[in-house]
Amino acid sequence: MTISALEVTGLYRYFGGLPAVRDVTMRIPAGERRLLLGPNGAGKTTFFNLIAGDYPPSQGEIRIFGQNVTRKSANQRTHLGMARTYQIITLFPKNTVLHNVVISLVGLRECRFNPWSDLRRQTALWDEARATLVLVGLEHLADQTVMETSYGERRRLEIAMALAQKPKLLLLDEPLAGLSADERQDVQRLLQSIPRDVTIVMIEHDMDVALAFADVITVMQHGQVVVEGSRADVVADPKTREVYLGQ
Amino acid sequence: MRSPVSTLSLSLIGLVALLVMPWLVTSEYYINIASQIAIAAILALSLNLLVGWGGMISLGHAAYLGVAAYLSIYLTTQAGFGHLTGALIAIGATTGLAMIFGYLALRASGLGFLMITLALGQILWGVAYRWSSLTGGDNGLGGLKRPHPFGLNLMDPTTFYYFVLVFLGIALLCMARFMQSGLGQSLQGTRDQPRRMHALGYNVWLIQWLSFVFAGFWGAVAGLLYAYYNQFVSPQALHLTTSAETLLMVIAGGTGTLLGPVVGAALVVILKNVVSAYITRWLILLGVIFVVIVLFMPEGLVPGARRVLRALKNSPHTDKDADVSSIVRDRTQ
Ligand SMILES: Nc1ncnc2c1ncn2[C@@H]1O[C@H](COP(=O)(O)OP(=O)(O)O)[C@@H](O)[C@H]1O
Ligand SMILES: [Mg+2]
Repeated sequence: MTISALEVTGLYRYFGGLPAVRDVTMRIPAGERRLLLGPNGAGKTTFFNLIAGDYPPSQGEIRIFGQNVTRKSANQRTHLGMARTYQIITLFPKNTVLHNVVISLVGLRECRFNPWSDLRRQTALWDEARATLVLVGLEHLADQTVMETSYGERRRLEIAMALAQKPKLLLLDEPLAGLSADERQDVQRLLQSIPRDVTIVMIEHDMDVALAFADVITVMQHGQVVVEGSRADVVADPKTREVYLGQ
Repeated sequence: MRSPVSTLSLSLIGLVALLVMPWLVTSEYYINIASQIAIAAILALSLNLLVGWGGMISLGHAAYLGVAAYLSIYLTTQAGFGHLTGALIAIGATTGLAMIFGYLALRASGLGFLMITLALGQILWGVAYRWSSLTGGDNGLGGLKRPHPFGLNLMDPTTFYYFVLVFLGIALLCMARFMQSGLGQSLQGTRDQPRRMHALGYNVWLIQWLSFVFAGFWGAVAGLLYAYYNQFVSPQALHLTTSAETLLMVIAGGTGTLLGPVVGAALVVILKNVVSAYITRWLILLGVIFVVIVLFMPEGLVPGARRVLRALKNSPHTDKDADVSSIVRDRTQ
């Protein structure tokens, strides 16, 4: 059996007695494009936060590329090849767009502990950041501060910061939320262009986008997995209908 | 728009002024005050590292000043160490203390961090006050002779002033480098978005701790110079008011800037020495000045003065939006 990019067993997370994630077990093979569907409050973001290591699970185990990371901190998991974006945009607003990507790159390099050498002179770093911006179509905004950019551009910068780290496992939390139709297409094209060997788990509401993107779909509700399977299976399953009409 | 040329030329003018100061001001009294300012500025710069770039407000920074001062005097006058070994041990041990204090204080953040640094500082003050057999208690420790490094006579106020100025210069250089270094940039990131920094692979705790220790080291350097200057140390060096004064210097001058803490140190030391000769309630005056600064230049004197200068320059054709964004950008530099 090949190594799974992500393997989650019996995962629980309680917030003050209420379970936000309840007994979730999931296995995502390397290279798969997985979609996470479900109504608001289903526990999707909480599930991401558990995988990323924002807080520990109340119970259960998480493995990334075969390695048990349940007790590892968020930064250690990132060094194993995991990257994520946030549903609520989390950038460095006063810094330039390019600088944001550089911060992302430095996170994986030893120079983050260097108190002396000038980061601005490490041209290789800035070139690499610029190349990432070209990839997401933001190179023309490189020297603007994030505050001066539009919402859609920030969403793309979120993705750029994750891609800059060349992750093997990428978690995208509603990367299309709040975008115009044109912007959605741009981002979708960008996501299609990510190399196939990158495992992607994406949370998304829009069924059409979702269906075009995903190999396998998992539907969550009340913190639990309700349906899981190929696109056709999930669409055909009456429980999917129930989740979406019953909300 | 901010012109780098004017910043550079202003810094050069400032540097020249500092260097020729002893020729213009021949009074020993004022040269000594200048030395005090330089020492206070090193301490304020080191606290600024935490407050300005790290967003960690400490009310215990006198700990490093006081401990290094006590240690260097004790080691050289009572334990029989030479000046150089005494100084090195004092700085090394104080930095070690910062490692422990950082470990303890960084278990919390925000107000918790402030309270822990305050408590640790108070403990040291209590020890210095009570453990009289070692510290001389209320009477303090004296008897230190200034060293003669490279044959320099540090008893001469002008020579001592230049001696201190060299350390201030090195401190400024290190801070300027730190600010633009990988660690300095990481620290500023943990101030703005700790959660994101974690997710980007940064060990936020470790970055804050390393910065804390670095700040403690420079606090120790200030403490050593403080001991040489006063040739005496008392529990006052460890007192909460010393920590608070240092924080005041940083905030009044402008947090997160290089010049701010220096200007703040000058303001507080001058008020303390010069004004207190004429006005007995100088602390009230200091309070009033502080309130005025907070009301009219909440970002501190240095960034505030820059803003006013820029507004004067641009006044005929004011572009409000551009102005606001450039202020904010300045603050991040
Ligand atoms: N930090 C938190 N503290 C308390 N409750 C939380 C927290 N995070 C999420 N929740 C709760 O957990 C449930 C799932 O939320 P979330 O994971 O954000 O859902 P989704 O992303 O699927 O919309 C919600 O009821 C939410 O209120
Ligand atoms: Mg969510």
